[in-house]
Amino acid sequence: MWNEIKSLLRPGKTSRELAKGRLHLVLAHDRAGIEGAKLQELRNEVAAVIAKYVAIDPESVEIQIDRITRGGSTQLTVSSPLKARASEP
Amino acid sequence: MGRAIVITSGKGGVGKTTATANLGAGLAQLGNSVVLIDADIGLRNLDVVMGLENRIVFHVVDVIMGRCSAQKALIKDRRQENLYLLPASQTDEKDSVTPEQMKTLIFELKNVFDFVIIDCPAGIEQGFKNAVAGADEAIVVATPEVSSIRDADRVVGLLAANSIPTSLVVNRISPHMVKRGDMLSQADVIEILALELLGGVPLDEEIVASTNRGMPASVNGRSAAAKAFMMIARRIAGLEVEAERQTGAGFFAKLGRALGLSPA
Repeated sequence: MWNEIKSLLRPGKTSRELAKGRLHLVLAHDRAGIEGAKLQELRNEVAAVIAKYVAIDPESVEIQIDRITRGGSTQLTVSSPLKARASEP
Repeated sequence: MGRAIVITSGKGGVGKTTATANLGAGLAQLGNSVVLIDADIGLRNLDVVMGLENRIVFHVVDVIMGRCSAQKALIKDRRQENLYLLPASQTDEKDSVTPEQMKTLIFELKNVFDFVIIDCPAGIEQGFKNAVAGADEAIVVATPEVSSIRDADRVVGLLAANSIPTSLVVNRISPHMVKRGDMLSQADVIEILALELLGGVPLDEEIVASTNRGMPASVNGRSAAAKAFMMIARRIAGLEVEAERQTGAGFFAKLGRALGLSPA
């Protein structure tokens, strides 16, 4: 409990928490077996497909690989803000 | 038929050889016949950790190449009757043996010994492939550090692809660093790697001293790490199957459970 109190008083995360967060991210990428350039390619293609159907800025599309659950399943998330409401016909 | 267990980690320097020596000595102490194979061809070390470096005449490559019988190459431990070492060659290359040859050798040894413990080299190349080829089970050793855990995760994936059941030993835990928030806890490592825990071993100066002497600490050792290795040896032998195995609970949780204060 003392540690919880200390972590409330102390600004920022402990190195233990940082390590945990970084490992989750790094392992998600390792497990997916997809590296930098390929991931960018995937992002660009997905962005192009989305842009075909809705108004988006292809540059704002973000792609993320991370592990959501404890069980170890890895999730691929693509997110993109939509542009202001498309003008009605 | 005995059990062949490979001790592996991916990353070097996390305590594979120390774990092999201590768990092997522990299993022998419990009355099992045990042979330790140093699969780190070209960089042998298990012999010095066991204090048997002066007795080596033949090695694992000699046995595989048919230059001598396995019986002739085995070195009996100084202290324990039923503990043997099959040393690595110091001059051959990792690819001087094949996974098939290792499999055959380990199968032969399983006919004679209760446990065949294989000390895997670091890395995930040929030496790793040779070391895991004949294994029925794997123990992954990881320290609570990002580099060790990342490499361990790679190895866990490769072992899963080979359908080898795998459990985890978390080595060199410093409880006060964990409390301070400066080290991943045993529970953190289990959560990240999603593996069954075999046990945690605290960081302990006695391990350095016992390695200097060439005598595994687990035999009659009183240090915290010696006791932890002995506990893990008992679990491998199936002697202790308690609730702590799943939860990795600490002293106070165990105390609470013993007093009936918290659910088991």
